[in-house]
Amino acid sequence: MSIRINPDLLPDLLVSIQQSQQNEAIATQQLASGRSVNQLSDNPAAAAALVSNHDQQAQDDQFLQNNSSLMTRLQSADSTLSNVVQVLTRAVSIGTEGANSTVSAADQQAMAQEVQGLQSQLVGMANSTYQGTYLFSGTAITTQPFTLDPVTNAVTYNGNAGVSSTQLTDGNFVKTNVPGSQLFQSASGDAFGALQNLYTSLMSGNQANIGAAVTQAQNALSQVSIQRVFYGNAMNQVNLAESFLNQDKISLSSQENTLAGADLAETATNLAQAQLANQATLSATGRILSLPTLLDFIK
Amino acid sequence: MGSLSGALNIALQSMLAEQGGIEVTSNNIANVNTPGYARQRANFAETDPVRFGNVTLGTGVELQGVSSLRDSILDLRDNQETQQQGQLNAFINGGQQIQALFNEASGTGLQAPLTAFFTSLSQLSASPGDVNVRQGVLTAAQNLANAFNQATNNLTTIQRSTDLSVSQSVGQINSLTTQIAAVNAQVQTATSLGQNAGAFIDQRQQLINKLSNLIDVSQIDAGDGSLTLTTNSGAPLVVGAQSFQLTTQPDSTTGLQHVFSQGTDITSQIASGELAGQLQIRDQEIPSIQSSLDALAYNLGNSVNLQNQAGYDLNGVKGGNLFNIPATAAGSASGIRVATTDPTKIAASGGPAPGSPGDNTNANTLLALQSQTIVNGQTPLNAYSNLVFKIGSDVSNAQSNQQAGSLALQQIQNLQGAVSGVDINEEAANLIRYQNAYQASAQVSSVINSLLQTTLNMVQ
Repeated sequence: MSIRINPDLLPDLLVSIQQSQQNEAIATQQLASGRSVNQLSDNPAAAAALVSNHDQQAQDDQFLQNNSSLMTRLQSADSTLSNVVQVLTRAVSIGTEGANSTVSAADQQAMAQEVQGLQSQLVGMANSTYQGTYLFSGTAITTQPFTLDPVTNAVTYNGNAGVSSTQLTDGNFVKTNVPGSQLFQSASGDAFGALQNLYTSLMSGNQANIGAAVTQAQNALSQVSIQRVFYGNAMNQVNLAESFLNQDKISLSSQENTLAGADLAETATNLAQAQLANQATLSATGRILSLPTLLDFIK
Repeated sequence: MGSLSGALNIALQSMLAEQGGIEVTSNNIANVNTPGYARQRANFAETDPVRFGNVTLGTGVELQGVSSLRDSILDLRDNQETQQQGQLNAFINGGQQIQALFNEASGTGLQAPLTAFFTSLSQLSASPGDVNVRQGVLTAAQNLANAFNQATNNLTTIQRSTDLSVSQSVGQINSLTTQIAAVNAQVQTATSLGQNAGAFIDQRQQLINKLSNLIDVSQIDAGDGSLTLTTNSGAPLVVGAQSFQLTTQPDSTTGLQHVFSQGTDITSQIASGELAGQLQIRDQEIPSIQSSLDALAYNLGNSVNLQNQAGYDLNGVKGGNLFNIPATAAGSASGIRVATTDPTKIAASGGPAPGSPGDNTNANTLLALQSQTIVNGQTPLNAYSNLVFKIGSDVSNAQSNQQAGSLALQQIQNLQGAVSGVDINEEAANLIRYQNAYQASAQVSSVINSLLQTTLNMVQ
C-alpha cells in the first residue's frame, strides 16, 4: 500500500502562488527604484557600506566646493602679485634712469612723482580683497593690511604673520596664504621701503642713495617673485586635488552602484521569469482544483 | 442451528452498521474544509459467534465506535514550529519598523545629518571668518541634534506600540487558555465515558496551536485525556479544567508592562511565540539601538565641546560648549541640544588674537574629529555604520530563520494532512462500499422475508 499523501493540495499551491507573486514584487520594486537594496535587511553589509560611501561622496563634494573657492582666491592673489612685479620692475627702471648723471633735477623730481604714484598703486594692490576679505593680511583677513602715511610715504603693516592651512582632500593640507609682511616688508626685500627711499633720493637727487634704493627695489622684486612661487605651487596642489576628487567621485559612484544598484538586465529577466512562474502556477492550480473526483462517477 | 430470524437480525444489524459508516463518511465530507478537523473512521467489528453443537455461526457486524485519525507527535511539532514562527514574525514586524527609521538605502537615516555636520566644519575651515558659514555650522549642528532626538522619539514610539501589543497578546493568551481548559474538561469527560473525544481534541489542538503562536507551550498528557499546559519555564497555563491567567503590571522605572504568572515576573523567561518576539523588540533590540545612539551622541557631542573649548571664537574669547548633553551617555540622543544660537561662538581660531578671523587652526581640529576614534574606539560614522549593519542583519537573520521555519511548518502540516486530511476520493469509495453493503443487506432481509412467507404458507 502506498503512503497516504495530504489530500489537501491547496496550501502548497497557495504557497507557490505567493512565492511567485513575491518574486514579481521584488523584481518590480528593484526595476522601479533601480536599486537592489531597498531596505537594510535586503543586504545589511551593503547598507552599512553605503553609509561610508554616501559620507565620502558628500565630503568630496564639499572639498571640491572649498577647493574651487580657494582656487579663485589663490588666482586672485597670484594675478595681484604679477601686477606687483610690473610695478616694481617699473620702479627699478625709473630708478636706473634717475641714477644717470645726465638726468636733470626737474626730470628726477618728475620721476619721484611717478614713484610716489607707484607706491600708492602698490599699497592698493597689497590691500587687494577677495570676496570682502584681504588677501595679504595673514589671518587678520578683515584688517586692511597696509596703510600709507601721505606725508612721509611710509607704509605700516597692520595684519599678522598667520598662515592658514586648508584640507584639499582627506588629510591633505595646503597652506593658503603668505602674510603681507613677508611679501612686501621682509628683511630679504622691502618693496614699500625701497619705493619710499627711491622717492626721497630722487627728490634730493642723491645718486648714491638712488643707486641704493634701486638695489632695494631689485631685492623686493626678487622677494615677491620668490614668494609668488608659493601661490603657483598651491594652485598646482589644488588642481591635483581636484582631479583626484573627481576621480574619487567616479569610483565612489561606481561602488555605490555595485553595492546597491539593481542589475537592470538581470532584474528584467527575473521579472519575466517570475511572471511566467506565476502564470504556470495559476494555470496548474486551476486545473488541479477542478479535477474530477470519484464522486463525479457515482450515479 | 441457525434461524431465519437470526439471519434477518444479522441483515438488520448490518444495515444499521453501514448506515453508521455512511454517517461518518458524510461527516468527513462535510468537514473537508474545516480547519483542524481530523478525518474519522467507522470501526466495524464482527459480533461474538454462537455455537450450536459442532457448528459455530457468526452473528453479524457491529459499529464499535468512531475514531479520529491524528498523530499527536506531529501536532506537537506543529505547535513547536508555530511558536518559532510567531516569535520570528513578531520580531520581523518590529524590526521592519525600526529599520525604516535608519533606511540608508533611501537616505532617511543619521548619515546625512552626521556628514552634513562635518562638511559644514570643512566649509568653516575654508572660510573661518564668514558668518554665513558659521551659521551653516550651527544649522548643521541643529539638524544633527534634531536627527538624534527624532530617532529616539521614533524608537520610543515603536517601543510603546510594542508594549501595547504585549498587553494584547497576554489578553489573547488568557482567552485561549480559558477556552482550552473548557475543552480539556470535555475531553476528560468523553474519555472517562469511553466516547470518541475526537471532535473536542480537534478543537483543543486548534486552540493550542493558536496559543503556540503567542507563547511557548509545553504540554504533558495527564493520563485522563486532559493535557497540562505550562510555559517552557514551568509557569502553569492550563491544568485539567482550570486555566491560569497571566497578568501584566507596568515596571516602576520604565513603565513597560511586565508579565506575571501567579505573582512571579516571568517576562524574561518567555522563550517563543509572538509575545517573546514582541518582548525581544521592546526589551532588547530597541534598548540596544538606543544605547548605541546615546553613545554616538554623547561621545560626539563631548568631543566637539572639548575641541571647541580648546579654540577661540570670532571675538577672540575662549570657546564654550556647542552642544548641551546629559552628564552620562544614557539619554544623550534624546537630550542633545545645540548650546548656542550665536554663530560667532564657534571656536575656529587656534589663538586668542581677536583680529584674526582667518585663523582656522581649531576648525581643522574640529573637522579632524570625523576621522578620530571617539565613539567607543570607532569613528562617529563607523559607529553608525556598524549600527546600521546590526539593525539590518537582525531583521535579515530573522527573515531567513522565518523562511526556513515556514518551509518546515509546511512540511509538518503536509504530514498532518497525510494522516488526518479528508480525501474526497477515499470518502467516495467508502460511500460506494457502504452503499453496496447496505443494499446487499436489504436484499438479504427481503429474501429472508420471502423465505419466512414461504414457511408461513407451508403451515396453512
